[in-house]
Amino acid sequence: MLKKYFVLILLLIFTALSVVILQWLPLIEKHAREIPPATVFNNADNANVEKPCTDDHIEWRDAQEIEGVKIAASPACEPDNPYTIATAVKGTNNVSMMTLMQSNLAQDAVTMGEDLDNDGDPDVIHIKLEVVELNGFSPDGDYLINTYNIAPGLQPSMWVFAPKMQGMAVKNFNSRVAHPLLRAPSPVIRVEQGDKVFITLENTHYLPHSIHLHGVDHPFLTAAGHDNDGMEEHAVFPGKQHTYEIQPRHAGTMLYHCHVQTAQHFMMGLNGMIIVEENAPNNWVQTLNIGAGQVRHSAVNVQKNYDQEYDLHYQSVDKQLAKIPQEANDPRLISQKMSRDYNMTTSTENYFLLNGHSFPYTLRDAMIIANENEHIKLHIANLQKSSIAVHFHGHKATIMAYDGVDAPQGLQLTRDVFDISPAQRLDLSLKTTNDGLNSYGAGLWMFHDHVPTGTTTDGMEPGGNITLLAYKSFLDAQGMPKMHNELFNDVFNKEYYAKQRPPWASGDWANLFGDAGKVAPNYGELIAFCAVIGVLIGAFFLTLHIYLRKKLYEK
Amino acid sequence: MQMDEKGMVMNANSDNLPKDCPQISETVNLTIHAGHKHAVKFNGKMFAFDQQQWDVKPCAKINITFVNDDQIRHQFMIHGLPGYLYPDGMLHLELYGEGELQASLIVPSQKKTYLLHCELAQHAEKGMKAQLKVGGGNGDLPSIPGISAPIKTDNYSLEWSMLKLGGVIILVLVSMIMVGGRWLLLRDFKR
Repeated sequence: MLKKYFVLILLLIFTALSVVILQWLPLIEKHAREIPPATVFNNADNANVEKPCTDDHIEWRDAQEIEGVKIAASPACEPDNPYTIATAVKGTNNVSMMTLMQSNLAQDAVTMGEDLDNDGDPDVIHIKLEVVELNGFSPDGDYLINTYNIAPGLQPSMWVFAPKMQGMAVKNFNSRVAHPLLRAPSPVIRVEQGDKVFITLENTHYLPHSIHLHGVDHPFLTAAGHDNDGMEEHAVFPGKQHTYEIQPRHAGTMLYHCHVQTAQHFMMGLNGMIIVEENAPNNWVQTLNIGAGQVRHSAVNVQKNYDQEYDLHYQSVDKQLAKIPQEANDPRLISQKMSRDYNMTTSTENYFLLNGHSFPYTLRDAMIIANENEHIKLHIANLQKSSIAVHFHGHKATIMAYDGVDAPQGLQLTRDVFDISPAQRLDLSLKTTNDGLNSYGAGLWMFHDHVPTGTTTDGMEPGGNITLLAYKSFLDAQGMPKMHNELFNDVFNKEYYAKQRPPWASGDWANLFGDAGKVAPNYGELIAFCAVIGVLIGAFFLTLHIYLRKKLYEK
Repeated sequence: MQMDEKGMVMNANSDNLPKDCPQISETVNLTIHAGHKHAVKFNGKMFAFDQQQWDVKPCAKINITFVNDDQIRHQFMIHGLPGYLYPDGMLHLELYGEGELQASLIVPSQKKTYLLHCELAQHAEKGMKAQLKVGGGNGDLPSIPGISAPIKTDNYSLEWSMLKLGGVIILVLVSMIMVGGRWLLLRDFKR
């Protein structure tokens, strides 16, 4: 009888044990009992907190005159190199060797030629741009080369147009950090209306590229009958160069960008602003504004009407796309992964940059720093994938031009949110007059893209393109905002953007906002679970053994 | 240092002997070309020098003629030289475009392999890397095109075909029968 039902009983036991296993399966999460777990303080050691400002070049902050070029003060933590500014104004062929060496530009980077209209400034200008990969692959070890941090600990690979430089592409001979000239965004180019400008793309990169002058008055063909529109089929291949020729009749804020595999290359960072200034006598404009931001040597007409001028370049990074050049060295593999394996229609934006940095690095070099009763000119370009809605706290600014075309009186709108579609530009007039409309008074007023994700870095808030319209009285000697030390400890930390530190988890609230600890497993259940699993496996082999032996005996 | 609108040379040294060299052992004239076209013979590279290795005797004087065959900037940098003759241990030749430059250096007596590369972003990584061996050198540097493997390698797709797949299946079957055949023999075993 027992033998008859032996198999059935065995099957029942197996089933019962299996059910028990499912019941006791140790899971990742567990309901807490009466007492939830204690707070874990994972921010106890501040080993990864960076200095908010490293004070690298204090002497660059003052107003100064180099090679006869007046350079406005820049109280920011990381001011632009005034020697590069002076060289960009005078031309690499018009400055002393000392200044040129300090600028790090190649001797043919910005060459100033003839004064065609005899009004005291050069009108034939040759600008040379190279293509540089930041945070690129190295076959020599597990590290990235020519590194450029967009925020603490974040190094997505990026491609930028860079001014033609001389010497090493790293900070110094035993560093892997990119030279300060090599950074995001691609430099702002400034020329004068009517200038004969020759922009040479020297393709130092390992993939084909081009320059398309978006919105800038340019003939379709060069004088010699070659491509002048930078389109896909006229790519400049590695090791080659091509010169684009313009003589813009119309002034305004325009763009330039690579038009080869445009979706990918644009998102990788090959885009910049080109601003055509109105013609005026003795108008020596700052041909290059490295890293955008404050213009420390404005054009004549801007100086006449405004106290300050800023270039604001909004840009975003798709971290999936940006990973591709870091995963292979062979250009064929990179090209395949980028153009074919990766479907750009699935692309998302993860990092949002203003002038090449995300918060908190925007505080170092992408703030607007003002006094009361100033009149400030802003050039805003949206070079990211999605629309932006730039909002200034405490201020309302007025639109002076759309896409480089002066707005008629009726369209000079005064607003506090400026919606800008991809590739559009706005020129704004911002007044720091404390009258309840233009400004609500001095302060550390945030300004940012009001699309909610724009203030995050891969979802971590505060991040993205957040920065400040900071009144000088609210800045310390380093040009950093006062009263923010506690926040600085949180965000000037790569652990924060690696999502390893919770927000608000310092000071009195650390206990409440620190990470919740883990729940101990039920050891009784765990032991029983292990035992049952063991029994099941053992039983299986035992059955197999009996069965095989029986078979053999039967023979 | 010498610099003009075509290029620059930093730390050239045609006269000063390294401390350990009583005299110049030999004078070598090297012409080194740089450019995209020299990378064509290496799979998956974009820029290269025309040669990837040069051998000289200890205490040799090398007269370098550096030729840039591209329309873009290239450099020829040697690292690891004695700092008292070559600041930062470097000799640096740079051409802003097509053209050529000359510079000399005198190497010390030590048997050593020196790194030569173009320091533009991604140029050495994409192939513009070579080595100078003094007295036979002390081994090869990594990722020199055609000479040494990189430390961090690329992954390529495996080349599969029906024939190879069939071979695999047959091999598995044969192995099975070889082992399984013994087991079949065991069926004769009684008690």
